Amino acid sequence: MAAINMNTEQLQQAMNGEKPVLVDFWAPWCGYCRRIAPVYEKIAEEYGGQLVTAKVNIDEEGAFAEAEGVEVIPTLILYRNGKAVDSVVNPGSKAAIDQFIQEALAK
Amino acid sequence: MSEVHVYDMIAVGGGPGGYTAALYAARAGLDTLVLEKLSAGGQMALTEEIDNYPGFEEGIDGFTLAEKMQQQAERFGARSEYAQVESMDLTASPKVLETSEGPFYARTVVLATGANPRELGLPGEAALTGRGVAYCAACDGMRYKGRTVVVVGGGNSAAADAMLLSRIAKKVILVHRRDTLRATKIYHEPLMQAENIEFRWNSVVTELLHADKVTGVKLKDVHTGEETTVPCDGVFISVGRKPATELVQSQVALDRNGYIIADETTKTSLPGVYAVGDVRTKPLRQVVTAVADGATAVHMAEEYLAGGE
Repeated sequence: MAAINMNTEQLQQAMNGEKPVLVDFWAPWCGYCRRIAPVYEKIAEEYGGQLVTAKVNIDEEGAFAEAEGVEVIPTLILYRNGKAVDSVVNPGSKAAIDQFIQEALAK
Repeated sequence: MSEVHVYDMIAVGGGPGGYTAALYAARAGLDTLVLEKLSAGGQMALTEEIDNYPGFEEGIDGFTLAEKMQQQAERFGARSEYAQVESMDLTASPKVLETSEGPFYARTVVLATGANPRELGLPGEAALTGRGVAYCAACDGMRYKGRTVVVVGGGNSAAADAMLLSRIAKKVILVHRRDTLRATKIYHEPLMQAENIEFRWNSVVTELLHADKVTGVKLKDVHTGEETTVPCDGVFISVGRKPATELVQSQVALDRNGYIIADETTKTSLPGVYAVGDVRTKPLRQVVTAVADGATAVHMAEEYLAGGE
């Protein structure tokens, strides 16, 4: 399963679902965001059974990003029942993202 | 240890050196794997435009060039794995690489781990990275449009960062521990003439002031010891690079700056282990010299493998 680019409405729908939602806040001009994109696709494949893996372009969904307190990108936030469980800014490796997800899911 | 997959070659690091080694190795019929922790390209992936890699007359962005190098190596059968190497045993036979995705085994290893920006080593620096602390003006500069930033350093990259940021930020404060720039002369005049660049000579940053994000820095005059507080929204740290050799420091010979000692042959002090790109002792660290290393390493590895050791 690929990571899905979502607008605010789609995201709110996803958050009402059963699975926790992982969101990658990004923008096309952000170099660090491009660097994690291939790994994020891999994450989407590996965790597809447990998580909804979404992407939010902060240039298009600025109000949502602001409401979520996202000021620097890339930021990943894991939501459960619509509430942010934990976040990580600019993870440096796939291993760091794996660890973030596992710890957030355990919370 | 039955039934484990032993690669002919594993490249550690997916920058231009690692993927060129993979390309040459795959084309030579070697069973080849690249271990990369994040994405292809290494430092190059964050370079917005590369104009000194021949063949791209209009320039090419580093991320795209990296993807092309990866795809080219994979076209000939090289494999890639997103794995963070945690430890290596380079004297074992086969050589063992323990990673976040489990162990991998290889007859030869190409160390292509590159270099990273050097940190100041201040409390909170790591946690504030991305929250006001930055190491790449070209990557993060746009976030500071109309704001005040501090640039730390006095070499070419600090000078280039200060120039770039002066076109974006409201004000740039260049902090350098000496009383003159180490940067090449061509930078001096434009820096001095820029209206929004202020210099703080003979000064070092002693503290990062912050709440959730950076709010300022504390500076100390290295001569008088006097401390001052400078409010700012961002701190760009540009004090050189350090080679990523922590994992191999007890196994291969390093120079006093931590680079792996290897000449043009890329051979390290260990048989079957090669160092390519920025991590190797060399006079010029560029994409073109990294890719040259990658090709040479495979040539040497083929000789080694043919020797049946």
